[in-house]
Amino acid sequence: MHIDPLRDLLHDRLALSGMIILALIGFMAIFAPLLSGCSPDDYTGQIFSPPSADHLLGTDSMGQDIWSRLLFGARTSLLVATAVAFLSSAFSVFIGASSALMGGLYERFWMRAVDAMISIPSIIVMILVAAYLRPSLPLLIILLSAFSWPGGARIIRSQVLSLKERTHVSAARTFGAGWDHILMHHIIPDLAPLITAIMIQEARRAVFMEAGLAFLGVSDPLVISWGKMMQQALAFTYLNVWEWWLLPTGFALSLTLVSLSFLEISLETAMDPRLRKVRLIKDRPRRAD
Amino acid sequence: MLQVRDLKVSFGKAEILRGINLDLEIGDTISIVGESGAGKTTLGLSVMGLGEASVSGEVRFRGKDLFKVPEDDLRSMRGKDIAMVFQNVEDALDPLQRVHDQIAEAIHIHQSSSTKDVQTAAKKLLLSVGIKGDKARAYPHQLSGGERQRVIIAMALANDPDVLILDEPTASLDALTKADILRLLRSAMVGRISLVITHDIALAAALTEQMAVLYAGRIVEMGRTAEMVRNARHPYTRGLIRSFPGMTTTQDLQSIPGRMAHGLGGCPFHERCTQRIDICCHETPTLQEIEGRLVACHRGGIVPLLEVRGLSKSFDSCDVLSDIDLTLYEGETLALVGESGSGKSTLSKLIMGLYEPDSGEVILEKQKVHRRDISFYSRVQMIFQNPKESVSHRMNVLDAVLEPLVVHKKGTREERLIRARKALDLVELPTTDDFLERYPHQLSGGEVQRVAIARALALGPKLLIADEPTSALDPSVQAKILKLLMGLQDKMGLAMLFVTHDIALARKVSDRMAVMLKGQIVETRATNEVLSNPENPYTRKLVDCASGRSEQINNLEIFKAADLWS
Repeated sequence: MHIDPLRDLLHDRLALSGMIILALIGFMAIFAPLLSGCSPDDYTGQIFSPPSADHLLGTDSMGQDIWSRLLFGARTSLLVATAVAFLSSAFSVFIGASSALMGGLYERFWMRAVDAMISIPSIIVMILVAAYLRPSLPLLIILLSAFSWPGGARIIRSQVLSLKERTHVSAARTFGAGWDHILMHHIIPDLAPLITAIMIQEARRAVFMEAGLAFLGVSDPLVISWGKMMQQALAFTYLNVWEWWLLPTGFALSLTLVSLSFLEISLETAMDPRLRKVRLIKDRPRRAD
Repeated sequence: MLQVRDLKVSFGKAEILRGINLDLEIGDTISIVGESGAGKTTLGLSVMGLGEASVSGEVRFRGKDLFKVPEDDLRSMRGKDIAMVFQNVEDALDPLQRVHDQIAEAIHIHQSSSTKDVQTAAKKLLLSVGIKGDKARAYPHQLSGGERQRVIIAMALANDPDVLILDEPTASLDALTKADILRLLRSAMVGRISLVITHDIALAAALTEQMAVLYAGRIVEMGRTAEMVRNARHPYTRGLIRSFPGMTTTQDLQSIPGRMAHGLGGCPFHERCTQRIDICCHETPTLQEIEGRLVACHRGGIVPLLEVRGLSKSFDSCDVLSDIDLTLYEGETLALVGESGSGKSTLSKLIMGLYEPDSGEVILEKQKVHRRDISFYSRVQMIFQNPKESVSHRMNVLDAVLEPLVVHKKGTREERLIRARKALDLVELPTTDDFLERYPHQLSGGEVQRVAIARALALGPKLLIADEPTSALDPSVQAKILKLLMGLQDKMGLAMLFVTHDIALARKVSDRMAVMLKGQIVETRATNEVLSNPENPYTRKLVDCASGRSEQINNLEIFKAADLWS
């Protein structure tokens, strides 16, 4: 048995197209200042101008360059996605794996905590928290992570519970290995595909949630966000500007989400059939979307 | 009657006997066993006063020290009071004389009777050993080996000696002739002191009541023959018995590693001994009485390596093991047999600390195991049933073998590499870079199991717990793995707890066998005894099924498994 689902991804068309789209958006985000003609916050001199050579997608109601804002919006989306993916999956792995390995009261405490967290409607809490504290990007990242780790922790725990009963773990224990060695050499390597899947899932949810919250107005007004752009564009649907304002933004958001979904689906199929139960669990906490 | 006191014999600088003590009375029969070169024959010759060597100590016969009596007196005693049957049948008879005349000569030397009487006596003697008619008048070369042996025995008995020394009396005889000679010897030995010098343990067991094991000129173990054969106390005695192809032993033959060397400091056997400690290399152990047996060993004979006392374990409310007592001696293989669900694997996992016991204790080398730490795991290792699962699929051969060393933080990376290669050599795997970089799924089942064994051996354990190590392998690979394990036992003195449900397999590898039923050990005895005469009805059922007689016993009471389980 030597299955490495991560390697299989390179041979899967779905995963490849997902990766290419994601790489493209990433490229846009990284090189945003070079690709855009002007700063996204600068007033260009005219509002609601149609697309032109200077302003590829025209300008918005504030006279800002839409193309430039689209590029910088990708930065926000991807930043939130990456940060939430790493933060929440690190938490998931730590809590999930340590619960499975230590068991006892510790495990029961964390698993009940996970149950409690999952039952809380996260959007409402986030709106409330953002209303009391000043909305900012770091706060958003922390809030999103705080609400997305429990699902992952539950999956990780169940997987570690099964992994730690494997014979090679027993064999390592008969060499006198401590849990640190077993975790680093036996469990984490076998968890890698699962952790990747969880990270992608959490990234996708983070992109969606960030846009959604910004759309609802719960975001730092200074941060450029696709969700906020769409909300602003919607206010001007009586003019024709929405074609160049709303549609490209919506398209960019959809593409990001679709590419991440592609990766997710592909990884699921590639993973060991025995790990497929993961998919069942993974579908459940989707109600926040 | 015959006393040997601190007998030392040396040829030039080579000391052959180093202080032998024996006390024998009329009717005593003792066998002297040991490898060639141990000094067995020298001992026999010295008792005869025939040794052409510098001798110290004394051999007293009827109170007279044979080394001090004049040569003439000694000569009159030889043959008459003390007679010897020599080892080499070919050389002991004069080829130019008829056997009848040679017997007559032997009688004539010691008795001054008429020629006619002597002739009659010789004829009678030959008749008593079964040589009659023309054969009595034959020349030695006209007789078969067995007949010549009879003549030699007749010659030794010619003057009705009190002490009879038999030096390899049946070597080079076929089984049938041997049986005849054995019968003859048994009757010849009645009413005398007999010393049987042999390396044939079956012969020793058949002829003598006592046995002394000689090693490099010293007696290392002495006691009642039957008990010693059943339950050897000195590692050397066990080695001898293991390497002897008896009809009752079921285990494969195992040799004693190394070769005998005379003149070693400390215990003479220490170089080949698998349980030696520091003192063995410096001080010579004296023969001491231990439970009715004389043993010369600093450790008091073969030591118990692992003891399990009153071990119990239950999962929830289901008792898996109850009150298990088990002793595993140094260097032996104990087979743990029983059907699946009897708790065999649980027991081995409890010993390894993979489960926590509810009660009871595990004692390793006479020390209670409280916490299993690095030092415990470097002495006890385990091999698992399915090799492909026990070696992580993410580790290549090298990483897998290095893992225990990494866990134990032993040495630098270079030293670890050397140890890993050594371990792979031990299990007869290649150590080429190509092989070291392979992953378990690129190897055959047998190869992966070898890798698993190499991992266990890398730490140099004293005890190997093998949990069904071959059940996932096909028969020919299984045979190779078993041979390997037995070879490693020879080389390294590994003790093994061999967990298996296959009693036929256990029969080939184990010295002793423990039979488990419903979490209890119902029988623990020597493997051959368990198999030939199972005491417990459950064991009998297991043995009968394993030997392929299950169809025949289908209708018998024994097979009512329900009774056993109720």
